Amino acid sequence: MLATIGGAIAGLASLAAARTAKAAVKKVFVATSAPKDYDASKHKWLMCFDVDKCIGCGLCVDACKTENHVPQGPTYFRTWIERYIIKKPKPGSDATRGEVLVDSPNGGRDGFPPTTVPREEILKSFFVPKLCNLCERSPCTQVCPVGATFDAPDGAVLVDPNYCIGCGFCIQACPYGCRFLNPDTRTAEKCTLCYHRITRGLKPACVEICPTEARIFGDLKNPVANDPIQAFISKNKVHTLKPHLGTDPRTLYANLDKEVR
Amino acid sequence: MVRPKMPPQIFRLVLLTLAIVVTYIIARYLLTPASFRQYGFYRGEALVEHMSHTPVFAGRKACLECHEDIQTKLSKAEHKTIGCETCHGVGKEHADNPDVKLVKIGDNGCLRCHEASPTRPSWLKQINPKNHYREDKCVGCHVPHQPNEVP
Amino acid sequence: MSLEITNIVVETLPRFEGYVYPNESGTHPLWGLLIVLYPYITGLVAGAFIMASLVRVFRVKPLEPIYRLSLLTALAFLLCATLPLLFHLGHPERSFQIMITPHLTSPMAIFGFVYAWYLMAVLLLELWFDYRQDFVEWSQTEAGIPGIIYRAFTLGVNDTSEKAVGLDLKMGWIISIVGIPSAFLLHGYVGFIFGSIKANPWWGNVLMPIIFILSAMVSGIALCVFNYMVLTWVRRRQVDMRCLDVMGMFLFYALVIDATVEALDWLHRGYSAVEGFHVMEYMARERLFYTLSIGQLLVGTLIPLLLLGALQLLRRRVPEIVRKRIYFACAAFILIGVLAMRWNVVMGGQFFSKSLRGVMSYKLQFAGAEGWLVSLILLALPFIILTVMIKLFLSERLPTEGHVPHRVGDGAGKI
Repeated sequence: MLATIGGAIAGLASLAAARTAKAAVKKVFVATSAPKDYDASKHKWLMCFDVDKCIGCGLCVDACKTENHVPQGPTYFRTWIERYIIKKPKPGSDATRGEVLVDSPNGGRDGFPPTTVPREEILKSFFVPKLCNLCERSPCTQVCPVGATFDAPDGAVLVDPNYCIGCGFCIQACPYGCRFLNPDTRTAEKCTLCYHRITRGLKPACVEICPTEARIFGDLKNPVANDPIQAFISKNKVHTLKPHLGTDPRTLYANLDKEVR
Repeated sequence: MVRPKMPPQIFRLVLLTLAIVVTYIIARYLLTPASFRQYGFYRGEALVEHMSHTPVFAGRKACLECHEDIQTKLSKAEHKTIGCETCHGVGKEHADNPDVKLVKIGDNGCLRCHEASPTRPSWLKQINPKNHYREDKCVGCHVPHQPNEVP
Repeated sequence: MSLEITNIVVETLPRFEGYVYPNESGTHPLWGLLIVLYPYITGLVAGAFIMASLVRVFRVKPLEPIYRLSLLTALAFLLCATLPLLFHLGHPERSFQIMITPHLTSPMAIFGFVYAWYLMAVLLLELWFDYRQDFVEWSQTEAGIPGIIYRAFTLGVNDTSEKAVGLDLKMGWIISIVGIPSAFLLHGYVGFIFGSIKANPWWGNVLMPIIFILSAMVSGIALCVFNYMVLTWVRRRQVDMRCLDVMGMFLFYALVIDATVEALDWLHRGYSAVEGFHVMEYMARERLFYTLSIGQLLVGTLIPLLLLGALQLLRRRVPEIVRKRIYFACAAFILIGVLAMRWNVVMGGQFFSKSLRGVMSYKLQFAGAEGWLVSLILLALPFIILTVMIKLFLSERLPTEGHVPHRVGDGAGKI
């Protein structure tokens, strides 16, 4: 009984301390000067995926966490990989497929442990990388009460961690699960397309690291010679996630199976 | 002509309402961040803050400034799509000070991509580590920079 | 690229069945008990206000004894309505930004203004016009701190002439009329905060604001019944049975409408069975069994419907003492049931994954900002504030003109 009361008082005291202290935004980033002469209105960035090229190594997830100092825990991901294992239909059944198993152990960051499903039972299996879908009509920016998350003029959807009040509305509103609440800064966080890299002419960390060119990144307003994005769009039949919600995601997937949500 | 007087309670309420509205307008003017609405409904400063983070990975182009010979080898074979830091880790320290050595990917590193899995696409060469020359390291037989060559 | 195994094990142990997005796999829900409380408290406000407006606008005379009590209840709860939100925010010190740079497409931002409008232009204003003459009188007769309070609330206006009284009554009537849609707007917006989220099929549908408004009415009326009976019991007075019977009648019919629309929501979901239906149905069966079947349906809806319905039919044959017990029990059950309903909506929406393939189970803490203890205190706080208000503004020993359109006569039941 006493322990419970003591615990409750401690809880209240810690609550009071936490709420009266100013938010200590952990200085995980060393701020350097911004790249000069970057005009956001002259670019429109896009990331696309070729599902057939993803080998599920998970190096992109790890690279993102390293590049952006994302919290280490298994529930904070700016990008992640999902593994889909579609089993064969039961013998004698006239279905087109059996059970669908999806997993994402630690977001795929350390690769995927071998599946327990025997090879003979698997009809199809593939990896699907996920991140912010760069929606043209983003529901997350629509619901932010203070204007802390926004569509940048060059296509990235960003969060202002110095203005965000941590209400979590945007995290609830994202249909793709790509946002999370950073436990250290207590603000919403998500993929920024490595904004600090792309504005310096570098590629996002996940694109840089991907060994198979499953992640395709480019500038719709400034296509280069043999632009991978232009090639991707013109040569593939493309799909988006959850098109029925009307978010108009710009992130395109090639070779996406109907089971992917 | 007698002007109808405003009832005193209404008058006081109008004063109070005006006071509240004026206070709100002043507060709004004082407390709105300076760069708000610069590009849209957000702090324009936020774009600059996002740009100001220091990149961690150096990027392939940085490696190629010194290591073009490796790029020539790579571009001949299947590993041509792989960036340097994919296998060698973050290269910034080495780029700033070439005396700092980077990891060679190490034994398990190859398996990260090449371990056989029913989920991996069939165009990828995959091996089952239990059956595939367990005694030796991968680099005993394979050349990572030019996988079609034998050492 | 090294593994930080220790961090992973120590920090969280994800708990879910099926597949959930990695960002959803934590041990604690994003919106916890505090966000359950917030629509509950605002709903009570809206419902209590509707009780008062039944007297002023629709001239339901039997309800006059609870007119002031309902308004004070609404105010006490409205003052506490934003506290759960403040406790929940990651940065409560930045909460003023909602008023300074409100993003007008966000229901949460608009709610800040709807709340301010309702508090100042409706509730406080109506209370002021109703109490103004009493403030003038009490400021002259009472001493000490209460006297200072009454004097402050007169806003310096001491006119108690017939003309001024007539104006007070007229203004009160106008504000009540404006107040009814304002009350709907207040709680409708809270419902819309959930109803606007198309990403979540449990929340994002058109009936959500309507269901919230209707259950708010029910809970507010139940709260007025509850408060009235507790207050008369504390004061050792007799309840006005006519008043109580009429309250019970409104409670019953409000509950019928609310239950009908909620049943409609369920029926439609089950019938159309769109993609997310199966995971939501599984989640409701597995994770919400106690709060849904027992809390919301049985205790909160079915039992009060039966009891109150029986009383509508058999009122004359049931002795007063039994009726009183039934009204009190039903009010308490409904209050619990509507709280369970808020839980089912808020937590239910977070117990299944947006991948529509998985179901989570979350732990709820005792201590800490999102824990039970803080929520209990936040629920008790409005009652404490109401007690203080009753002592100041509804005290038995203070004479009152009783400014409802028709004066309350002397006799049994005068509060």
